[in-house]
Amino acid sequence: MDLPLREARPQDSAGQAPPDSPAPHREDLGSKIKEQKIVVDELSNLKKNRKVYKQQQNSNIFFLADRTEMLSESKNILDELRKEYQEIENSEKTKIKK
Amino acid sequence: MEAPPDPAPLAAAPAPAPLRAPQVARLREEQEKVVARCRESIQHWKKVDEDYRALQERLGALPDKLSYSVMVPLGPCAFMPGQLVHTNEVTVLLGDNWFAKCSAKQAVGLAEHRKAHVRRTIDDLKKVMKSFESRVEFTEDLQKMSDAAGDIVDIREEVNSDFEFKAKHRIAHKPHSKPKTSGSFEAEFPDGTKAQALLADEALWARLEELERREALLGELDSKPDTVIANGQDATSSEEEEAEEQSRASDGPHPGAAAPGHCDGDVADPGLLSGRVNGHAHCSVNGSHSYHSDEDEDEDEDDSEESEPAHHAVGAGHSSVPTIYFSHTVEPKRVRINTGKNTTLKFSEKKEEAKRKRKNSCGGGHATPELPTIRTPADIYRVFVDVVNGEYVPRKSILKSRSRENSVCSDTSESSAADPEERRGLLRGLSWEEAACSDAGESIPEEEQEGQPRGAVPPLAGPPEVQAFSGTVVEKDVLSPCAAPRPAGAHPLLPPIPERKELLSEASEEVTKRVSKFRAARLQQKN
Repeated sequence: MDLPLREARPQDSAGQAPPDSPAPHREDLGSKIKEQKIVVDELSNLKKNRKVYKQQQNSNIFFLADRTEMLSESKNILDELRKEYQEIENSEKTKIKK
Repeated sequence: MEAPPDPAPLAAAPAPAPLRAPQVARLREEQEKVVARCRESIQHWKKVDEDYRALQERLGALPDKLSYSVMVPLGPCAFMPGQLVHTNEVTVLLGDNWFAKCSAKQAVGLAEHRKAHVRRTIDDLKKVMKSFESRVEFTEDLQKMSDAAGDIVDIREEVNSDFEFKAKHRIAHKPHSKPKTSGSFEAEFPDGTKAQALLADEALWARLEELERREALLGELDSKPDTVIANGQDATSSEEEEAEEQSRASDGPHPGAAAPGHCDGDVADPGLLSGRVNGHAHCSVNGSHSYHSDEDEDEDEDDSEESEPAHHAVGAGHSSVPTIYFSHTVEPKRVRINTGKNTTLKFSEKKEEAKRKRKNSCGGGHATPELPTIRTPADIYRVFVDVVNGEYVPRKSILKSRSRENSVCSDTSESSAADPEERRGLLRGLSWEEAACSDAGESIPEEEQEGQPRGAVPPLAGPPEVQAFSGTVVEKDVLSPCAAPRPAGAHPLLPPIPERKELLSEASEEVTKRVSKFRAARLQQKN
């Protein structure tokens, strides 16, 4: 019944994006986007009676969370990541063009 | 930009050569490494900060609900559903496995504090990173410039090695040179010390002479005061001697029984007191003579003791009666000298005097009758009986006490020796009487005293008397040879007259010489 969901940490990934190292950050960002996509997919495919747990950052404890809230949150994170990624790509493109 | 180059170029280029690309590149690499490290640490710290932020968030929201349904971790991979209760109760790790139990709000505060610390660290790291980034930029520029125009040179100022050496030498030489100088000084010292010593010697001698002069003046001046003092106070040896002389003089008028009687009356206990002492008590009034001054010097007790016989002789020369009397009084002294008491004679005399004076006050009764009674050797022996208890008790440990007296030769022995001496004093008195009666001279009584005991001990008085007598007289004779180096000690039975002559001569010599001890020592050293 209860399916503990190991949520990705969008905030971490978002915070870790250093603008100085575009190449690795982009890769990280890409992987994170992939993860986030999976999270969103999973959450959206969950049955309604499923329980969702969110891991407390930097610890091993999982707090029960609302499934819909989590889904929306993860979608938001995914959007942010995509934006970031796109920004980086754009900046790189502009650099290359220059 | 170019003038103050990085430290790296200095280190990189060993010679004033054009900047080399690889070295500058390496510098840039190092700087970039530093920047990268800083970035990493900043990231780490940012993550920590982020964690703290999340924690703060969670802690802030935790007390909102009474309980949270959570998955409780049972190890890294095992979980079980549970409930988080006591949502407002947190234990905070303070460090070193110490925890503080506090509320969620307090925990938030703690987290905030830590976040501030983390931020500070991050700021520092960022500063470092910025500085190194700027350096990297500069090195990049430098590299480009050097590449573009090869006339950019690494300016180096070489340290003059010779100069440095010189400085080092200076430092190193100091310790060496110092000893050298000191050594030279030392070489000079002996001369200086010699000169100083000579000077000191001269000064010392001058001082000594001055002191002697003073001494001479004082000695003459003191002689009169001494006599005055002698009347009232416990006399020093010199005083005693003076007193003796005086007593001689005073005794002169009382040749026979009258003199003893007179003495007894004054002194109160002639039996206890030696003839000398009696003399002191009576005759201190009389002025002292040259003898006294001689004795005042107190160079040696021997001298003083010797001088006493001399006094006798002189006294005899001046007035026959007192001379006789005191020859006896002196005799015990001489005996003592023979036994080796020379060193402590002064002291002993003092003590004796004190004792006599003490006894004068209390024990006058005994001797007064006794003195006249002594007409025979037996009576003399009687005198040697212990009077300490107030009665005549046979002396038991005469030998012992005698030996002590002789051996110790010190003030401590006086307590024990005082009695025998007193007895001796009595003896003197008696002998003087005898002498007065017999008119045989001083030698006769002496011989009587010394000789009789040996021959006449058994037939004479009872056992106590015999003991007492034997102790005093015989032992002196026996011990004298061993203790005393003088010929007089070797021949205790010798008539005193020749000794007196010797002593007289000695005394006269002393008078002529009159050199202070210090000076004498000095002279001896010189010799």
